Amino acid sequence: MSKIRGGNGNNVAQEPPKKLKKVTFWQQYRRKPLGMLGLCIVVVYVLAAIAAPIITQYDPTKDLFLADNLAAPLWMKNLSEKYKDAPVTISKTVDLDGWNVTEGADFSITKTTYDEEDFMLIDMPAASSSGEQDPMMEILKDIYTPEELAEMFGASAAAKTSFSMDFTFPYNYSPPNTFNFTFDYAVEGSSPEATTVARLLIISPSGKEYDIWGMDAYGDWPISYITVDGRDVPVKMRLGLGFFDDPSKIILSEKGDYKVKFMVETDSSTGAKIYITPVKINIPGLLHGILGTDHMGSDLWSQLIYGARISLLIGLTAAFISVFLGTTVGIISGYVGGAVDEVLMRFVDVLLAIPSLPILIVLSALLGTSVWNVVILVAMFSWMGTARLVRSQTLTLKERAFVEAAKASGATDGYVMVTHILPNVMPLVFSALVLRIPSAILTEASLSFLGLGDPRVPTWGRMLQNARGFGAFTVMAWWWLLPPGLALTFLSLAFVFIGNTVNEILNPRYRERS
Amino acid sequence: MGFRNYLLKRLGYALLVLFIILSLNFLLFRIMPGDAVSMIMDPKFDLATKEELRSQFGIDQPIGTQYIKYLKSLLSFDMGRSFNTRRLVWDELKERLPNTLTLFFASFITTAAVGISLGVFAAARRGTFAENFVTGAGLFAYAVPGFFIQLMLLMIFGYYWPILPIRGTMSAPPPPGAMAQFLDRLWHLILPAGSLMVISFGSWALYTRNTMLEALGQDYIMTARAKGLDKKTVLYKHALRSVLPPILTLIFMSLPGAVTGAVITETIFSWFGVGKYLIDAVMQQDYPAAQGAFYLIALSVIVSNLLADLAYGLVDPRIRVGGGAK
Repeated sequence: MSKIRGGNGNNVAQEPPKKLKKVTFWQQYRRKPLGMLGLCIVVVYVLAAIAAPIITQYDPTKDLFLADNLAAPLWMKNLSEKYKDAPVTISKTVDLDGWNVTEGADFSITKTTYDEEDFMLIDMPAASSSGEQDPMMEILKDIYTPEELAEMFGASAAAKTSFSMDFTFPYNYSPPNTFNFTFDYAVEGSSPEATTVARLLIISPSGKEYDIWGMDAYGDWPISYITVDGRDVPVKMRLGLGFFDDPSKIILSEKGDYKVKFMVETDSSTGAKIYITPVKINIPGLLHGILGTDHMGSDLWSQLIYGARISLLIGLTAAFISVFLGTTVGIISGYVGGAVDEVLMRFVDVLLAIPSLPILIVLSALLGTSVWNVVILVAMFSWMGTARLVRSQTLTLKERAFVEAAKASGATDGYVMVTHILPNVMPLVFSALVLRIPSAILTEASLSFLGLGDPRVPTWGRMLQNARGFGAFTVMAWWWLLPPGLALTFLSLAFVFIGNTVNEILNPRYRERS
Repeated sequence: MGFRNYLLKRLGYALLVLFIILSLNFLLFRIMPGDAVSMIMDPKFDLATKEELRSQFGIDQPIGTQYIKYLKSLLSFDMGRSFNTRRLVWDELKERLPNTLTLFFASFITTAAVGISLGVFAAARRGTFAENFVTGAGLFAYAVPGFFIQLMLLMIFGYYWPILPIRGTMSAPPPPGAMAQFLDRLWHLILPAGSLMVISFGSWALYTRNTMLEALGQDYIMTARAKGLDKKTVLYKHALRSVLPPILTLIFMSLPGAVTGAVITETIFSWFGVGKYLIDAVMQQDYPAAQGAFYLIALSVIVSNLLADLAYGLVDPRIRVGGGAK
């Protein structure tokens, strides 16, 4: 399309007035405020969809347990008393460098790997020299040889080697719902009858010690995966709490620097090698990110952003297929006429008479829930309006002189339809396409909301479904409901604005239809 | 004469659609992998039991025989047994149908009343806030996903100010006394029916406003005004009377949409109606139940389409008097 050449008054006077009147579509479009508003909104959505991996660092469905389930958005701490001190996820892995060895600093502590995992290897020497000693043993040692002592008291003579290390982490929030520690632990090279006792303690800022985990290994101990969760009953039992007490509420009730202490004590006469992986500590926060988390601890903000991708993709594809079908049927029906027209239009009537949402529900359940099934189903049950519109336009075009002329000069029906009818129905088709998009988006959202969407794909409809099904109401998580709903609303409004503007410009006669 | 022909044609057409939907319904549930019996069959069953079950469900017969049997049984509302509850699907649907009808009529009447009166109101006060409100509401109804509005209303009135019940059609132990029970049901009806009204009154109001404005531009209104009739008389006696027929048609034309729209509403508010039954059946892969519910919904849509045609024919003089072809 040609643009108006800008120029001064002289040029205008010289140029034929016809050129001045030729205004491009864009020049007309940009004067319509609603159309421009719609366009801006769509551009924002498209940018969000494209830049999704930059806008959010989380994967919308695969990153689970980023915080506690149903965590509130971070900014809620400024709005609500309830979330003022609420914890933000603390997740850290403490390796050799993070630990501060308090007892047995002279032991050889090295980093090693086993089965592709990093381990700390604490080489504990045989129990004799180091560590506190029983005074009685000191006296006995002077009298007997070590072999005799071993004979009398077994290998586990009161001599013990101890090792302990700790690290500090600050905790300045209200108590969380739980906490957990995970690590792998193994003992090797111990004499068979020796006992190696390991303990994990949390020491609160005021100095209270909570013994949350312990293991008494007799002899060697194979690598075992240890997970200590604040909700576990064994933890409650160790702490002497009741079944319904909440260790995390009791332990993390203070604010300040907490100490986590790991202790090992062995009485092995041959020493012992303690293997322990870096300890992962995780305190799931009750506040998270821009929109909090869902019932699986997934990031809602990333679901919202990635939802734009899916909505745009489904809306555009379904609308395109639908309008393509409608245009094809409309042109053929209108141009060919006769029995073909009759059959096609009756088919359209029948499809229009079938309740679309119920059949979509039944079909998507039968065909399986995938994005493409939804796209195709939505398209299959929405092309009829376009077909009727295009058909009526084709009927008037068919009688026009240029079509007659083309036919008279021997053009085939197919040729006339493609080169003469199609370009002339394009304006109509184009606005039908734009107006079809919001209804396709909303239909897809309804299906997802009913649980018939693709379970692997984050869509706004599914966010709303999860919000309804997994307790957004009971905690008044309006930040879970409002964003996807508003996102849907603004996107469909934007397309309605654009569609109406396009219609006004291209099809002034069909303005009433939409 | 013309009207009768028109009616017969519409009736024939409705029967055709019904037939096509029935066939579709039959085919759809038979292209499923595995037949109905394999859904409920235990692999431990021996061959004879399997055959026995197959013949009980009539799946051992040729597909043509099955089809004719299926058509016959559906006409007598025999929809088989639900896989889940092992009860007759029609019995279950019969329990739920009154609930759906209650919700449907309650919401439909309130929507029509609110929508039409707001439309008239807006037309009478052109260019004021009232008119902008109505046009805005119309656009809103088109672009905002209805289930989102319903969820928000549920959150506000069911949880934030818990003044309305959040689910079901009546309290779990129903209150004693017929009057109390009636009020209890009404109480449960407010949120589903009210929210349906909120999401759909806009398009009604907009349509009424547009037709009213069109009528107000006519010459006879000018004449009435010129005669010196007061505003109210012109508005209600002249303009409104002339737009009533198209609005009546609209009432019937929006019946099918209202029937299908209830599916989502029933799911959101756990309203034990046919729509929720369909969703539950689909989710649990209970095919006879889904098939039965779909058949009932399709049937009601066809009937309401027929009613719309009838109303259209009665209102449009070209059809009523005859001669006018569609």
